[in-house]
Amino acid sequence: MYDKYLPFEATIKWIKKETRDTATYALKINKREIQRSYIFKPGQFNMLSIPGIGEVPISISSSTIDHNLMHTIRIAGDVTTHISRLNVGDIIGVRGPFGSSWPLEEIEDRDLIIIAGGLGIAPLRSVVRQVIANIRQTGSKKAYASNGDRIILYGAKTPKDIIFRDEFPGYRDSFKIYLSVDKADPEEYWRGEIGYITSLFDKISFNPLNSMAFICGPEAMMQSTIKELILRGVPGEKIFLSMERNMNCGIGTCGHCFFGPKFVCKDGPVFRFSDIENLLGINEI
Amino acid sequence: MRSIKINKDVLKLIFERLKASHRVIGPKIENNVIVLREIDYDDIPAGSSDIQKPSFYRISPDKKDGIFSFSNGTDSFKRFLQPPLREVFKFKKSKKSISITPSLTKEMPIAFFGIRACDLSALRLYDRIFLEGNIRDEFYYSVRKDLLIISVNCLYPCDNCFCSSMGTGPEVKSGFDISITELRDSFFLDINTISGKELLEGLPFEEPNSNDADERISRIDNCRKLIKKSVPFNELQRIIYRNFEHPRWTDIAKRDLECGNCTQVCPTCFCNSTYDYVHISGISKKTADISGSRIRIWDSCFSRNFARVHGGNFRPSRRARFRHWMSHKMAYTFDQFGMTGCVGCGRCITWCPAGIDITDEIEALRSCL
Repeated sequence: MYDKYLPFEATIKWIKKETRDTATYALKINKREIQRSYIFKPGQFNMLSIPGIGEVPISISSSTIDHNLMHTIRIAGDVTTHISRLNVGDIIGVRGPFGSSWPLEEIEDRDLIIIAGGLGIAPLRSVVRQVIANIRQTGSKKAYASNGDRIILYGAKTPKDIIFRDEFPGYRDSFKIYLSVDKADPEEYWRGEIGYITSLFDKISFNPLNSMAFICGPEAMMQSTIKELILRGVPGEKIFLSMERNMNCGIGTCGHCFFGPKFVCKDGPVFRFSDIENLLGINEI
Repeated sequence: MRSIKINKDVLKLIFERLKASHRVIGPKIENNVIVLREIDYDDIPAGSSDIQKPSFYRISPDKKDGIFSFSNGTDSFKRFLQPPLREVFKFKKSKKSISITPSLTKEMPIAFFGIRACDLSALRLYDRIFLEGNIRDEFYYSVRKDLLIISVNCLYPCDNCFCSSMGTGPEVKSGFDISITELRDSFFLDINTISGKELLEGLPFEEPNSNDADERISRIDNCRKLIKKSVPFNELQRIIYRNFEHPRWTDIAKRDLECGNCTQVCPTCFCNSTYDYVHISGISKKTADISGSRIRIWDSCFSRNFARVHGGNFRPSRRARFRHWMSHKMAYTFDQFGMTGCVGCGRCITWCPAGIDITDEIEALRSCL
């Protein structure tokens, strides 16, 4: 049995700068046999390992159909700073995949609302790409969320902080995309909304009882959007959110990622809102 | 399960036999505390007893009859299955390659001699954490699979014990190879496994009669009666889940010193952190190659940075950290692993420098339900 504490090697195939502090890294697993047995689902995360510096949990931002394994990383601490200094062809350690995934099997025949704040778009990009690939593969008839609307609501600090900005036009065939920023430089051309992400709800229409929402972003942002969704009548069981904690081992043996009684690394990071509803309101849980 | 009776001096023969094939871990007095080490038979502090109160531990000068006359000291058996510091792997890294050598040392199998019912429950929880999840911990498995367990039924509880109300003791009920009950002039052994049976093969024993069985039960019952502290086991989850904002937490935070002693002595606390140690001799300036090892050390949820992520700390206040620790023991583990996270050994009460008594705190939270 493969020891999940041991990272395996992956090569950086290409790096795409998304914003001034965020970049997407495409990895290819070096060893054939690991590559073959490595199966992930959108929403799961990997531990990226730089021996000598440490490890960080990073969600996978590519779909299972993509050729490379992608991670979108913002410079935040020692490890991510070190990763930002790596070049194409360099080696990085990877452990994973860990955690739960977005319930793609449940979105069929439903309106899919994807709500992301800031870097929270990364694990949801995985869903977006998966859905689009699925539409292409099966024809639009049998695709995920086929009969319903597909909506993306995305909020960022400023227009410059929008991640995957260049990819959104490509997604517009399959998704209705609404963007908002907290503030925009007046000198910059910005057609989207200015304000909090919940203001985007006024622009969209969906059947709340037949919708599913996938949310990822800062905790306060998730709470306010969930409130809005509940207010509109979306059932709690149909709202999913991806939580953030400092996952350290990935398999539920280190205790760092406790969210009340939940292990974010193995019960999460993707939780059904109705399962953690009581915990979300508790301060410093 | 089979039961036999042996003379008191046969225990030494069993021990010596065990010693030939195992590293025998058992109780021993070191620096005036009963600790767990690799021991010889004569190290067992036979007849010693200890006095334990909140924030108080002394070896009693009075001698008692019998061999297993003492109760738990600081150490629990967790330090041998999940060592305080262990190397996970060695690494060598250059720009174009990372090579990793796992550090699974092949040592002699371990035998636990004199493990109590409370610690055995903790071991059960450890199995659920490290073995029975989706992914097992290979190091834990390598030690656990060859583990031989000689347990002891407690006869003299300490003042801080409350295992009877947690349902974990004082009688050892499962998970052992051989369980010892000390009678007046013999040992009553329950043999639970084939490895236990094999260990005793050829040694002189007697079939126990009904008097012996009665004595065994009455001794354990007597111990149960001596236990002073208790918690309302069936209400624990309700007490915790309903009182996250109880003012008592703030009150505890005022007394709490955040030393983390409780998490180090607790037999079920398992939190750990990993760090990379780069050996200074392993750094090459020219090629930027480094070598070193990744180590895993015990951590504590009382550490300030335990729940820190890049954007902030999920539990910045002492109140929240204490609440997290106690809630995890008393409520979360039921949801996570279907069993109690507090086994009632009372170590956290004894070794808390502020004398915080977890049973009192539960009572205080409960009274305001």
